[in-house]
Amino acid sequence: MASARRRIPGIAWLLAVLVLFFSAFGTRFASAPNLINIGNQSSILLLLALPMTLIIMTEGLDLSMGAVLGLSGVVLALLLADGHALPMALAAALGVGTLFGLANGVLIVALGMPPFVATLGMLGVAQGIALAMTDGQSVGGIGSALPGIYASRWMGIPFAIVVALLAYATFHFLLYHTRVGTYVFAIGGNREALMLAGVPANRYHVLIYAIGGLMAGAGAFLLTGRMSVGHPTAAVGMEFDAVVAVIVGGTKLERGDGWLPGTVLGVLTVGILKNGLNVMAVPSSLQIASIGMLVIVALLLDSLRERS
Amino acid sequence: MMTAVLMILAVSCGKPGEDTAGKTGGESIAVFTKNQTNPFFQTVRLGAENAAKQMNATVIQYIPTVQDSITEQLSEIEDAIIKRPGAIVFIPVNSKALVPGIEKLNAANIPVVNITDRVLGGSVISFMGCDEVNMALNTGRFLLQKLNGRGNVIILEGVGGSENSANRVSGYRKALAEFPNVKLLASQPANFQRVQALGVTENLLQSYPQIDGILAANDSMALGAIEALDAARRKALVVGLNGTKEAIDAIKAGKLLATGDCDGFSHGCLGTMAAVRHLRNLPVPKEFIFSVMVIDNTNYAGLDVPYDQRMCPSWESVVRDK
Amino acid sequence: MSSFAWRLLGVLLLCVVLTLSSSAFLTVGNLLNVLRQASLIFLIASGLTLVILSAGLDLSIGANLGLSACLAAAVIKATGSIAIGIGAGLGCGMTIGILNGLLITMLRLPPFIATYGMLWMVYGINYWTMAGNTIYGFPAAFREIGSGYLLGMPIPVLLMVLSLIVGSVFTRYTTWGHEIYAIGANAEVARLSGIPVRRRLILVYTLSGAMSGLAGIVYLARLNSAEAGIGEPLLLPAIASVLIGGTSLFGGTGSLGGALIGAVILTLVLNGMNLLTISGNWQPLITGVILLLAAGIDTAARKWNESQA
Repeated sequence: MASARRRIPGIAWLLAVLVLFFSAFGTRFASAPNLINIGNQSSILLLLALPMTLIIMTEGLDLSMGAVLGLSGVVLALLLADGHALPMALAAALGVGTLFGLANGVLIVALGMPPFVATLGMLGVAQGIALAMTDGQSVGGIGSALPGIYASRWMGIPFAIVVALLAYATFHFLLYHTRVGTYVFAIGGNREALMLAGVPANRYHVLIYAIGGLMAGAGAFLLTGRMSVGHPTAAVGMEFDAVVAVIVGGTKLERGDGWLPGTVLGVLTVGILKNGLNVMAVPSSLQIASIGMLVIVALLLDSLRERS
Repeated sequence: MMTAVLMILAVSCGKPGEDTAGKTGGESIAVFTKNQTNPFFQTVRLGAENAAKQMNATVIQYIPTVQDSITEQLSEIEDAIIKRPGAIVFIPVNSKALVPGIEKLNAANIPVVNITDRVLGGSVISFMGCDEVNMALNTGRFLLQKLNGRGNVIILEGVGGSENSANRVSGYRKALAEFPNVKLLASQPANFQRVQALGVTENLLQSYPQIDGILAANDSMALGAIEALDAARRKALVVGLNGTKEAIDAIKAGKLLATGDCDGFSHGCLGTMAAVRHLRNLPVPKEFIFSVMVIDNTNYAGLDVPYDQRMCPSWESVVRDK
Repeated sequence: MSSFAWRLLGVLLLCVVLTLSSSAFLTVGNLLNVLRQASLIFLIASGLTLVILSAGLDLSIGANLGLSACLAAAVIKATGSIAIGIGAGLGCGMTIGILNGLLITMLRLPPFIATYGMLWMVYGINYWTMAGNTIYGFPAAFREIGSGYLLGMPIPVLLMVLSLIVGSVFTRYTTWGHEIYAIGANAEVARLSGIPVRRRLILVYTLSGAMSGLAGIVYLARLNSAEAGIGEPLLLPAIASVLIGGTSLFGGTGSLGGALIGAVILTLVLNGMNLLTISGNWQPLITGVILLLAAGIDTAARKWNESQA
């Protein structure tokens, strides 16, 4: 069952403090253009962090998301550069992502490999294919359709943020208002009960990883639009950021205890921190140290509150 | 909270350039470099700071927290636009993928001076950099001449697929084409990194009992190759590119034959000067290619100065030569 | 066949393939190179193995290596003393390790998060203090640690063998070692049976930190220079070595010998690619496939064992 008995979680306080701090000390941090930037900059990460929440809730992990995003982006860009229509290229990118997600799911659920290893291996495979296809170079010449869509606004809201909002709404509905969502909670919390009830838990478990791959493909759509090129290694490390956002947002690595809104807060906190530090022109090395502190402080808050 | 304390500390360290009223000068220039780890970019940043001080302007440094991150540099551009600097001095992490960033700067009417690596799109006031192909060509030629046009050489490439690497390797290959009696045994990537160059070189030393020359696409790799040679007690002529201080010390010690000078410090200096000049309505050339110098043990003196003691050359002394 | 035997077979297979593909492979010089390159990965992976045996994780090892190397470099330059420099490097490594241990045991942070946060903080400190510079040029005596030979073997290889022996004795034949396995298998049961879990965990993270520091010193000696980012490319290969070597992330099973084999396998692949002048682009793919193969064999073996029981 969805665990809704939460007081205001630590991450919300942290987020509020950061927003107040940067608004006070950072010129034009709280201006509309900057807030929109934060939304844009965070949207791709949210697309990855949403399925990652589900995956972590089932006591899993997907380290291949960044590499799969890169590969999907490369496929997308190559097809566009070759003159294919955008819908078809997008379908291919989503397909590639889903395929890798399925592969992860099969390795982990059907074969029983530990998620860390399986997805780390798939990271190498996806990365390798992307590098081999492009010789490490960017893929340009994708035309203006995709960048145009990325730059478009829908009722004043930038496309990327719209996509992120839609994605969140979909996942929220999926997790908290459908049977599938109940299964997700159960797979992490009490798998046996699910199996006893006759539900093919394995199928849904694989589905979760496949969704992760699909979202990596969606992320590739946005990222390629943002850069106007496809690049094999542009998203390297993003999966780590996603894991951190999910955990900082309150989902635990064990015990199937997940909170989707927390993931959004986690993604925003990281995005606001990075943006705020830039707006305040903090030296890069201090920025790096601050990110580390943020991660630790966020978890600390949670663990302190739990004990009290 | 700890994070708050750290940030208050950061505020006192990192909040320059806000008070510009009243001075002739006080322009705020945002300088974008690729990463924290490569010493080349540190020299660019030092040059920029030096030039800014000379001209009464201030500099804000933007370096991605994830080294060489395209997405982060794009975000940094967006964040910089919020601060409305006077002008930008820009080294792109990737020549194609950062074009949308330049276009955003164009749309925001913030002038851009592009240095070191060309951006392949958008509109910039000026490009100031080295002709890498030429630099590698001259440096390679220098080594091959020292070999009297005979022998076996290997090339150490940079990051697979990067324009820098492609240009430099292409220059080396052009030099090789001029010396038909020299054999190219292998051309392997070592990612511009010292430790990888060491590993690759020591592996190649095993494959090939006779290596007379090593053409490395940057100084770090050249120095790594030298370590491998020393450890294997073999000798070969080695050249690098970039003209870093460490390379010059190696030349002095007789370990490195020569390095092609693509002096990051000057890029930072001249780029920043160009940006400030543009803001003051002074003329700036649309393109400026630094002359290439092959530094060996006869002519290193001018560059053998610790960076914090170096001063930017004056604009007129450099630009007028072209 | 035990999983260790499978892995040994894999190494032999790789060697056979490489011998057939390149005449330069099966030479004393090349094999010593491979061992030396593998030892640099193994030194870092050995401490990580202990951590993973306890069902933990240490993502900060690369950052640790970098900071320790830079600190050792700075101290050697400042004091002129190699011994003090080495002490500083090891001390730095251990300190980071202890801090990790405290974050995990006292503040109850998950190891993934604690060491990830530590990674960023250590890099931040390192980039700030190094400011993009390199510290280079060290006394020949110091550089022997990285490039010298003793009894015909490269010194890093001897260090690797020494770590392997000491580490294996520790894990297999001492109480503390057994306790670490027990904690990895089931921390709660271990605690209930009287094992001082917190103290042992702090110990493994300290050891991991110390090995990162040691690896940093060996790197420094080998490269004759220190830069802030030298540890960055090592994290994933180190993790891959441990996992390819058969240590389970769930804790409780695995060995240092396995990590050594893992390091050797990865190094052989890289060595082979250089000798055959294959582009570096293929390396992640090959590494990924090997990782999947190794994990697949492990999983299959585990299932087969379970079905027999």
